Amino acid sequence: MIFNQLTGLHQHIGNWPGKTVERAEGTLHFKGYTIDIVDLPGIYSLSAFSLEELISREYIIFEKPDLVINVVDASALERNLFFTLQLMELEAPLIIALNQIDMAEKKGIKIDYKRLEEILGVPVIPTVAIRGKGVYELLNRAVEAIERGVPKPATIKYGEEVEERIKRLSEALKDLQLKYPTRWVAIKLLEGDEQIEREIYRLNPGTKDLVKEIAAEIESIHGHPCPTVITSERYEMAGRIAREVQRILPAIKAPLIERVHNITTHGVAGYIIMALVVLGIFHAIFSFGGFLSEMLSEFLYGYESLFESTLGVGPLKDIIWGGVIEGMIANITIALPYIIPFYLILYTLEDSGYLARIAFLMDVVMHKIGLHGKAFIPIMLGYGCNVPACLGCRIMETERERLLAGFITTLIPCAARTVIILGLVGTFLGIQWALALYVIDLVIVFILGRIAFKTLPGEPTALIMEMPDYRLPHMKTIIKQTWFRLEEFLKISFPLIIASGIIIKLTEIFGLLSVLSQALSPVTVGWLGLPEIVGITLIFGVLRKELTLVILATLLGTTDFRSVLTPVQMFVFALVVMLYVPCVATVAACIKEFGFRRSLIIVLIEIALAIFIGGITYRLMTIFSILEGW
Amino acid sequence: MEVPLTALREGETGVITSIKVGSGCAGRFCRGIYKRLEDMGLTPGTKVTMLKSAPFHGPVEIYVRGYRLALGRGMAERIIVEVQR
Ligand SMILES: Nc1nc2c(ncn2[C@@H]2O[C@H](COP(=O)(O)OP(=O)(O)O)[C@@H](O)[C@H]2O)c(=O)[nH]1
Ligand SMILES: [Mg+2]
Repeated sequence: MIFNQLTGLHQHIGNWPGKTVERAEGTLHFKGYTIDIVDLPGIYSLSAFSLEELISREYIIFEKPDLVINVVDASALERNLFFTLQLMELEAPLIIALNQIDMAEKKGIKIDYKRLEEILGVPVIPTVAIRGKGVYELLNRAVEAIERGVPKPATIKYGEEVEERIKRLSEALKDLQLKYPTRWVAIKLLEGDEQIEREIYRLNPGTKDLVKEIAAEIESIHGHPCPTVITSERYEMAGRIAREVQRILPAIKAPLIERVHNITTHGVAGYIIMALVVLGIFHAIFSFGGFLSEMLSEFLYGYESLFESTLGVGPLKDIIWGGVIEGMIANITIALPYIIPFYLILYTLEDSGYLARIAFLMDVVMHKIGLHGKAFIPIMLGYGCNVPACLGCRIMETERERLLAGFITTLIPCAARTVIILGLVGTFLGIQWALALYVIDLVIVFILGRIAFKTLPGEPTALIMEMPDYRLPHMKTIIKQTWFRLEEFLKISFPLIIASGIIIKLTEIFGLLSVLSQALSPVTVGWLGLPEIVGITLIFGVLRKELTLVILATLLGTTDFRSVLTPVQMFVFALVVMLYVPCVATVAACIKEFGFRRSLIIVLIEIALAIFIGGITYRLMTIFSILEGW
Repeated sequence: MEVPLTALREGETGVITSIKVGSGCAGRFCRGIYKRLEDMGLTPGTKVTMLKSAPFHGPVEIYVRGYRLALGRGMAERIIVEVQR
C-alpha cells in the first residue's frame, strides 16, 4: 500500500499475510532526485528458512539499498518490532513508517513515536497508507536521511549473559574479512543460521568449536537451545520497547469487529455464513452479469444494419464485421459483465480480511489433500485469475505444498471460465446447471488433490497464520484494483480477439478451417459429441479461456447459442473448457514457479482429464436422457 | 499443570514451557517449522490465550504478543503450556 502510494503503481493489495511475493520496482521523482523503490515481500523474520525471507535478506545485504523503509503495523507493535530489531542488527540504513495508526487507535493503542525514535535511533514517521497520510513526510525524511547520511541505529542489547557472549564471538570474528556486520554474524551463528554457518566455517573452520562452546554455555544457563534463547530474548526486547512507547486505552470500536470475527470463525455459524456468502456471490454475479450482458448486446447488435449499409455485403464486410466487430461485441457482452462484478466482490473479500477466516475454517478440509488452510487463499484467488493464484502459492511453506497448491489452483475456474459457465450454461440451461459445474469441479479438485497428495512424498504440514483484523473494505482501493485488472484484460483480450478473428475468417475463406476441425473431430465429435467447429475454439481458447465462447459466437455468427448447440452439448462444452489446459498466461506462471517439466505434466494431465470426463459426462447424460427436451 | 496448548479452554491462558519436536520429524523442514513458530513469538515463557478451538480436529486461534495467530491442531498439540488459573 505504501509502495503504491509512493510510486503510483498498482501492486496487488490484500488483507492477508504474505500477498506480496514478487519483488516490484517503481521510480519516483522527488525534489530533483530520481528514486528507485523496490517492494519486498512481507515477512516476519530474517532467517533463511523461507524463500521470501532469504530473498529480502540477500537484497538488503548485497544490493545495498540507500535506505530501507520498514513498514511497521502499529496495531501489532511487538511482533513488528521483532522484525525491526533484526533489520537493525543487520545494520541496514533504516527509516520506519509507523503505518495503520488509524487501526491502532481503534484498538485503543496510542504510540509515542518520538520516544520510539529515541530508543531505536531511527527516524519514525506515522502514516495511514490508505489515506496517503504521512507519505509525503515519509519521503521527505527519507531524502533528508540520505542527504545527511543515515544515522547508525542504536544497538539494542540482549540479556547480560547472552550479550557478553555475542561480544566474545564478535571479537573472534573481527579479523575475518566479512561482507556482513560482525555482530550480526555472531548472532546468526548462535541462532544456527545454516547459510551463515556454511560461509563462515568455510572461511575459518576454527570458529565452529567456539560457537559450539558458547552455544552450550548459553544453553546450560537458560535451559533452552541457544537459537531459542536468542529469539526469545529478541522478542523480550521488542516487547519491552513496545510497552514503553505504547499506551493502551479502552478500545473504541472493537466489540463489533470482535463479534463479526467470532461469528465468522464459529464452528457451526462460520460454515453456514461461508456457504451463504459463496452462494450469494455466485448469485449476485450471475444476475447482475446476465442483466448487463443482455442490455449491452441489445445495444451493440443494433449496429449491424448500419454496418451493412456502409460496407455493403461481401467479403470485406464479412472479415470486418464477422471477424473483428462481432468478436469485440461478443467480448464486451459475454465477458465484461461477469468479470467486473467478480473482481469487485473478490477484492472486497480480500480487503476486508474475510479470506483469512475462510482459510481458518477450511483448514481441516485442506489437510485431507495434504495442504493446510492457507492454501485456500490462492484457491479463492484462482476464481479471479489463475496467474496471481499460482504465484500466491508461495505463501505455502514447502516446495511440495507449493506444487500441490499450484496444481489445484489451475483447476479452479477463473473469471474467464466463469464467463463460459454463466454466459452459456447459466444463461441457457439455468443457474442450477452452472452451479452443478462448480460442484463437479470441486469434487474433481478434491479427488485429484487427494491422489496427488498420496503420490507425492513429503512431510506433513501445519497451518501457522496471522489473523489480520477485520476492516471496512476500502472502496477506493477495491475499485482501483478492479479497474487495473479490467484494463489489463482489455489490453490483452482485444488485440487477441481481433487477430484471431481475422485469422479465423481468412482460414475459413481458404477452407482451412474445416481441415483443422476435421482433424480434431474424432475427439470433439466422436468422443465428446460436440459440433465439429468447436475444435477451433478449443485451440484458440488456450490463449484466453473466454475466447472459446467469443470465437464460437464469431464462427456461428450469433450469441444465441440455443440455435446451434443442444443442451447436453452446452454442458459438455463448458465442462471441457473448464478443465482442459490452463490458459497460456497461467502455464507461463506455472513454468516460472515449478519448472518446465512439472508444468508440462500438469498440462497433459488436465487435457487428458478434460477429454475423459467430458466424454463420460456426454455418455451418461445421453443414456439417462438428462437435459433432453430442455 | 503442564498440558498441550490444545487442552486450554477458550479464554484460558497458559505460559509456554517448551515445544516438542515430533520424533518422526527431524529434517530441515521440521527445524524450519520450529523456527517459524519461534519467529512468530511462540518462545518459552510467552503467555498465550486460547481464543477459539475449531471443531472436527480443526485449527486453534490464540492470542499471543498482541496479535491473533491461527495454528493447525497438529502443531498446537506440540506446544506445551503451564496453565494459569
Ligand atoms: N486502515 C488502514 N488500512 C491499511 C493501511 N495501510 C494498509 N492498509 C490495508 O492493509 C492491508 C494490507 O496492505 P498491503 O499493502 O497489501 O500490505 P503489504 O503488502 O503486506 O505491506 C490492505 O487491506 C490495506 O487496505 C492503513 O494505514 N490503515
Ligand atoms: Mg505488498
